[in-house]
Amino acid sequence: MRIFKNKALAAGAVAAALLLSACGGQTPSAGGKQQIEMWFWGAPPAHQKEMQQVLVDGFNKSQDKYQLKVTFDNAVDKNIDVALAANRGPDVVYGSGPAFAAAYVAKGKLADMTPYSDKYDWKDRILDPMYESGTVDGKLYSLPNSLNNIGVFYNKAVLDKLGVGIPTTTAELNAAMDKAQAAGLYASVTGNKGWKPVNENYASLFLTHAAGGKTVYDALQGTTSWTDPKIAAAIDASKDFYQKGYLAGKDYSNLNFVESMQLLSQGKAPFMFGPSLAFQFATDSFNDKNGNTNDLGFMPFPNIDESLASPNFTLGSTASLSINNASKNKDGAAAVIDFMMTESFSTDMTKTWPGYWAVPLKKFDAAPDEFTGLSKPYVQAMKDMIAGVNEGHYGFFAGTFFPPATATAFDDIDSVWLGKTSTTDFLKTVDKTFAEEKAKGLVPPVPEPK
Amino acid sequence: MTLSLKTPSAAALQNPPGARSRKSFHQRRTIINYLLLAPALLLSVVVVVVPGVLTAVASFTDWDGLGFSANFVGMSNFTDIFADPTFFTALGNNIKWVLLFLTIPVALGLLTASLLLRRKRTRTLYQVIYLMPYVLAPVVNAMVWLSIIYNPHGGVVGYLRDRGIGIEPPLANLDMSIFAVAGVDMWHYWGFLTVIYLGAMRQTPIEQVEAAMVEGANAFQIFRHVYLPNIRATLLLMGVMIVIFSFLAFDYVYLLTQGGPAHSSEVMGTYAYAFAFSSFQFGKAAAVGLIMSFFGLVASFIYTWLSRRDLTK
Repeated sequence: MRIFKNKALAAGAVAAALLLSACGGQTPSAGGKQQIEMWFWGAPPAHQKEMQQVLVDGFNKSQDKYQLKVTFDNAVDKNIDVALAANRGPDVVYGSGPAFAAAYVAKGKLADMTPYSDKYDWKDRILDPMYESGTVDGKLYSLPNSLNNIGVFYNKAVLDKLGVGIPTTTAELNAAMDKAQAAGLYASVTGNKGWKPVNENYASLFLTHAAGGKTVYDALQGTTSWTDPKIAAAIDASKDFYQKGYLAGKDYSNLNFVESMQLLSQGKAPFMFGPSLAFQFATDSFNDKNGNTNDLGFMPFPNIDESLASPNFTLGSTASLSINNASKNKDGAAAVIDFMMTESFSTDMTKTWPGYWAVPLKKFDAAPDEFTGLSKPYVQAMKDMIAGVNEGHYGFFAGTFFPPATATAFDDIDSVWLGKTSTTDFLKTVDKTFAEEKAKGLVPPVPEPK
Repeated sequence: MTLSLKTPSAAALQNPPGARSRKSFHQRRTIINYLLLAPALLLSVVVVVVPGVLTAVASFTDWDGLGFSANFVGMSNFTDIFADPTFFTALGNNIKWVLLFLTIPVALGLLTASLLLRRKRTRTLYQVIYLMPYVLAPVVNAMVWLSIIYNPHGGVVGYLRDRGIGIEPPLANLDMSIFAVAGVDMWHYWGFLTVIYLGAMRQTPIEQVEAAMVEGANAFQIFRHVYLPNIRATLLLMGVMIVIFSFLAFDYVYLLTQGGPAHSSEVMGTYAYAFAFSSFQFGKAAAVGLIMSFFGLVASFIYTWLSRRDLTK
């Protein structure tokens, strides 16, 4: 009986050891490779398949030391927050941008990627403003996976029907929207249904095109108050825009980007204002099967303050990539990030998934004509943006560059639009929130626009 | 068969063997009782008391939820919250939520349960049907309402608009949004109340009902003077549970409006969530959580007081 007990204990110990070692993630996977883990948002099945082929299979075949595993998770943001807080989580940290990274760097949750930057020449390959935005005290902690710009999607067929051309100034844009409204259409379609931070897109858009990137840069440095008259004028302009029905009229709260793209393709509106990443939501509505691929166009939003350089871009990233400081496979995580910071990866992903993989490379030689479908206008839009960023003509997307509580404060811009609060009170709240975060060192380094 | 009667000694009378064994039996039982209680007690301490105490502590700090370091900030989280108009909007909406849930689903539940009492053959089927929204995941119910009812293109709202009825989607309306969200939650909840009330009504002694009928009482009088007093305890318990749940409301608000537009449908649950997971201000989120718990505690005290008062009658 005693022998039996000892055997049972031994078996239990072995089982526990195996279980614990499996939890630790350090056991070499099949084939003797070290497993690298990455959590990603719950993309649609077709996009998951594409990512499996191009990223996972591509990376795993490219070397024989690491085995990448990507987990798709609809609650990835929250789960990464909790996992990092507990010094756990994936090796490659998928975050929402430099501001996200800065908050975690302050708590020592992300690894210094500077040695890997030297090893892989990232500084020479990545657009300077985007590279710098991922640094804290001169050390690199994150790289953006893709450029993003808040601009104007338009349906050429609807514009033709309305008898207007593609607008190049705000006066032309407003005239086209007035004409659409008179014809019983939406002036534009967009909305924050299911995702309140969509509001940040429009706060950022008006800050860039009315206040100007330099004013916002000064505010982020703390040399200008967020209650600056130029910033107040930008918020007022956004209010005027909303109240004229230029942001989906009364349906702003009832639409999301997918539904907006459907309405745009159905000819219910000439425009959709939104981030370039929304190209990925357009593929179901604008495609060769529907015969309307060429109807969709994308352009930068025209400046409201005409003294600003044009074309002007609201610089942002769709996400950021970092290395978990608790990872036991930092070299492997860096190898994955390096694999993703290449033109070949960007073009392979963009061929079937336009909108999410414009890697911010200084040198992006791919020609739009090499692509088909919506990938073509998307690549053109991103090449235009890279040129604009290199010239310094940009502002800042709140979700990427503003510290978390400040960005959340800008989510409340709909309170101004709907008359629940004044521009002055709204900006005072922003200013107070920003001052607290700046004191805590949560403001990421931002590139100075020209 | 013989009987022998012995006189017990004085010592045995002072400390009889039966009393000793009874004492040790009671001691053993007490230990066993505590041992049996221990797992549940330990679980309660670990799952309820420890997080509760940590939340209370966090509410006086600037903890950002990312690490283990935090600074003591005194009452500033609370003063910031009380200076924020959004907090009072959220509190007001929670109070509206309580009032709505204490009236509409309760009235519907009582009415339906009363009607089902007479449907002896089909009431099981009705109960299953009424429970369906309750057993479905909130995300499914929310999607159904967003797509089929509130959708301005294809939903009931869209259908009415296409026919020239100028209806504004209620979720986008500043004055209507909280009622539109509460409507979905009440739709999912009232069937559950029906089943609970029906179960309680069926416990009413049939003699009382028959006596009332013999006395010539009509259906409403039987309900008012026979059933209602009999289900008083159930009504009271469900009332308290409704108050507690109403101050914890979160899922349908988050799924349908995320507290918008312009915080018009904000409740304290979504208000705290935004602090925790959008702004990384877990200290403030904990402070809101404490305030939410306060209202639940008040409801619990009232329930306990009413229950004890009933017992002493």
